[in-house]
Order: sequence, then structure tokens, then C-alpha cells
Amino acid sequence: MCDFGELGTWLCAEGTWTGQYGLGNLLVEHLLLTVVALIVAALIAIPLGMFIGHTGRGSFVVIGLGSLSRAIPTMGLLFALVLLLGVQFRELSVVLALALIALPPLIAGAYSGVTTIAPGIRDSATAQGMTTWQLVRHVELPLASPSLIGGFRIAFIQVVSTVVLAPLVGLGGLGFGIIQGLALRNFAQVTVSAVIIIVITIAGEQLIGLGQRRAEARLVAPKGLEKP
Amino acid sequence: MKLTRITAIALSIGAVLGVAGCATASAPSTEPIVIGSQAYYSNEIIAETYAQVLEDAGYTVDRQFSLGQRDVYVPALEAGEIDLFPEYTGNLLQFFVPEATQTAADDVYAALAKSLPAGLTALAMSPATDQDSYNVTKEFASKNKLESIADLAKVDGLILGGAPELAERPYGPTGLLEKYGVTVSFQATGDTTVDSLVAGIVNMANVYSADPRIQQLGLVTLSDPKGLFLASNVVPIASDKVPADARKLIDAVSAAMSAQDLVALNVRSVDEKLSAAVIAREWLVSKGLLK
Repeated sequence: MCDFGELGTWLCAEGTWTGQYGLGNLLVEHLLLTVVALIVAALIAIPLGMFIGHTGRGSFVVIGLGSLSRAIPTMGLLFALVLLLGVQFRELSVVLALALIALPPLIAGAYSGVTTIAPGIRDSATAQGMTTWQLVRHVELPLASPSLIGGFRIAFIQVVSTVVLAPLVGLGGLGFGIIQGLALRNFAQVTVSAVIIIVITIAGEQLIGLGQRRAEARLVAPKGLEKP
Repeated sequence: MKLTRITAIALSIGAVLGVAGCATASAPSTEPIVIGSQAYYSNEIIAETYAQVLEDAGYTVDRQFSLGQRDVYVPALEAGEIDLFPEYTGNLLQFFVPEATQTAADDVYAALAKSLPAGLTALAMSPATDQDSYNVTKEFASKNKLESIADLAKVDGLILGGAPELAERPYGPTGLLEKYGVTVSFQATGDTTVDSLVAGIVNMANVYSADPRIQQLGLVTLSDPKGLFLASNVVPIASDKVPADARKLIDAVSAAMSAQDLVALNVRSVDEKLSAAVIAREWLVSKGLLK
């Protein structure tokens, strides 16, 4: 395989796969930054989205955030955060910038998941004597889960493809291979890095999509209990 | 279509009148000289000095500034879409000949002149340089008694910061070890290199020698007695469309610009936030190249 032109030579070169800037480590860093940013965003977005959906208060926040997310230039936000917090906190800056772009789809997913629950279901839960917390925990959260996971799906795609900017402020991730490769005119490196990013984005999206379908399937009433 | 033709006619009439009204002996061509620049404020100031000197002599100039990186504009230069471009000898040589071994200014210039594609000429290079250099903080330099890169050999735990591509450059970690016996670990600090040096994330950093922050932050640039870095003097690259008289004017600008001048121009851009046109004009006047 090493004879396979420029690409093969690079794939077989020392340091391509191992070491701090090897593809293995860069892939781990890329996924780690993505996951941490999504967790941070979820911790804020899911309670907030469900609260807005449950109470119906502040739904303008959802609409506002949705349009805002398309207007924020992530790169500008990232550099602004690094300047603001200092370069020592660049990890925090990257995670915050990524979490901010993940917030709107997550909030929207949680919000629409809760608001689309048929009022009758909620009423019957209350009629059975459920407290608000029980209603949220045992009725709204499970019923909202497909929509919630759908929000994750969009957030994941946006975050995993934006982590590519991290090397601009001195962090790793697969964007390193693109930025270094362009400067060195090493197009094998650029191509391989880009292809890996595409593959993990599609694979992750499909995986979350599978989770979403599972969650939907669980909500279908068992045979014999369908609506007449 | 009709409108374009009218505009074209109007433009050529304007150009002819402009030429006629000009007192210089040479008859500059009516076709504008297209001047490009990198997306780098310092490069744009140099391009602006060329533009103003040519305009003053009656040439029509078309400014195509901020054209990004070499991958973008070198093909445009080769295709004849740009006629004049301020470049840097070492970095441009490395672009055409990645394995180039020359480091001294004259050798680099000679090698560059030979490796330029047909139709492009390197005009006389300027004494002004803007090249890679290794810098440390003042505290770090005095603590370890550092003056030259060679002094680093006795320091342990060196972390070098720079753009991601530095890892693979001949003057990067490999070159440091081979030429000076200096062992470093590498941190790709990207656009935050200088900040990372000041913050202590790295203890030596690759900064362009004309970067105003070297002065402002009191960084110590380590001397390079063994010629690890390629000399990178400012050099105008001209296409065959640039007439001989215009070349003489540009040569005068190159000769007048010293390394200190270039740093001073950059400082004005960063500190006083002046436009490239204003900085270029005032410098040209101070050198007697413009009235």
C-alpha cells in the first residue's frame, strides 16, 4: 500500500498514526472535544427546553436562539473567547464556543418534544395524582425523547464539524491535519483528515438516528392497545 | 453588454487623458498594472508603497489586495492575472523548492531567481526582512543566559510553539537538533503563539521578525549564527507586463526600506490602526520617494 503514490507514502510515514499529532491521538481529541461540548450544552439545554415546553413561558427564547445560532460566526466567537478568557483557558474557550452552537438545536428539540405531547396524556397523568416532578420525569421526558435525540443529532453534526477550528487556537483534533497539510501542501494529509471527519460525522449521525428510532419504537403502544 | 462597452471606452479615454496629462518622459501603457498582496497587513503596506510610487509616475494601478496565501495567488501570478506582488525570498523559494538548502540572503535570492516560473522575475531584493525567528521572553532569556539559538542546548524542558506546519519545516524541531543539538518538544499554538509564549504554555516561539509584538512585549529574538532559517528579504515579483521604467521605481522603494523601517511600518498599523495607504504614503514622503 505504501507504493500507492503520495497518499500511500504519507499513510506509511513515521508519525502519521502515532504521537501527539498522529491521527490516532487527533481522533481521540476530536471526539473528546465534541462529547464534552455536547454534555455541557445538554446540561443547560435539556432542563431549559423542557421547562419552557412544560410551562409555556419564554417560548420566544427558543425561536430567538434558533435564529441567533445561524448568525453567530463560530470562528469569531472562538477567538473572542480566547481573548476574553486568556490563552491559558483555551480548552474552556473551545468547549464554550462549541456548546453555544449546540444549544439552539438541543433546546428546540427538548421544547418541541414536550409541547407536542397531547394535552389528554398530561391531564390523565395529573388525574392519576402525579406530582409535577413525576409528570416531567415519567411522562414528558420519555415522550419527548425522540425529539430530544433529534436535537442531539443536529447538534452533533454541527459540533463535530466545527471542532476543526480548534487547532487555530493551539488545540488538537483532526482539523490539525487540514491546517498543517494546507500549509505544507501535503494534500494526502488534508484528504485523509477530511475523510476521517466526514466518516465520523456520518457514522455518529447514523448512530444517533438509530437511537432516535429506538426511542420512537418504544413509544408505540403494544399490539392490541392501539387506538380504535 | 452595451453598458460594459461604454464603460470600457470611457475608461480608456480616461487612461489616455491621464497619460497625456502626465509629465514623465516615459509613456506608460494604458493597461493597468495589477498589484496584489497577501492577506497580511504588513504585506499590504508594502504593496501600497509600490502602487503609490507607480501612480505618482502616471501609471494606472489596479489594487488586488488581501489575496490570501500562496496557494491562492501564485497560480494567479503564473497566469498573468497579477503583475506585481511583494514577496519574501526565503518563504517563496520554499514554496517552489520545498527541499531548498540555501539560507544566506544572497544564496536564497539567487536560487529563487532560478526557480521562478517563466514570465515572472524577482526584482532587486530589499534589505528589509520578515522571516521566521525564535523568540523567548526576557525573563527566560536572562534566567538561562540566552543570546543565540546555540545557547538553548544546555536548557532542559524546552517547548517550542508555532504554526502547525513548523513541526515539519526544515528549521523546526528536526533542524534545531541537527544544527544546534537543541532538543525541543513541539506545541502547535497556531494563531495564539505569542500569547502562549507570554502565558508560559511554551517557552520559545516562532514569530516573524517584523512582528511589532517582539518590540512591544520585549521578547528576545535569539540569533541564528549557523543559518538555520532561510533569509527572507522583501522581494517584488514582477510579470513581463511591468515595464523597465516601472521596475526602476520599485527598485528604489526596495532599496530605501530597511528592516527597522518595516517593523516601524507594522507598529504604526498595529498601534495607530492607520490604513495601509496612509502608512505607505507617509513613509514614501519621509524617504523622498513621493512629494
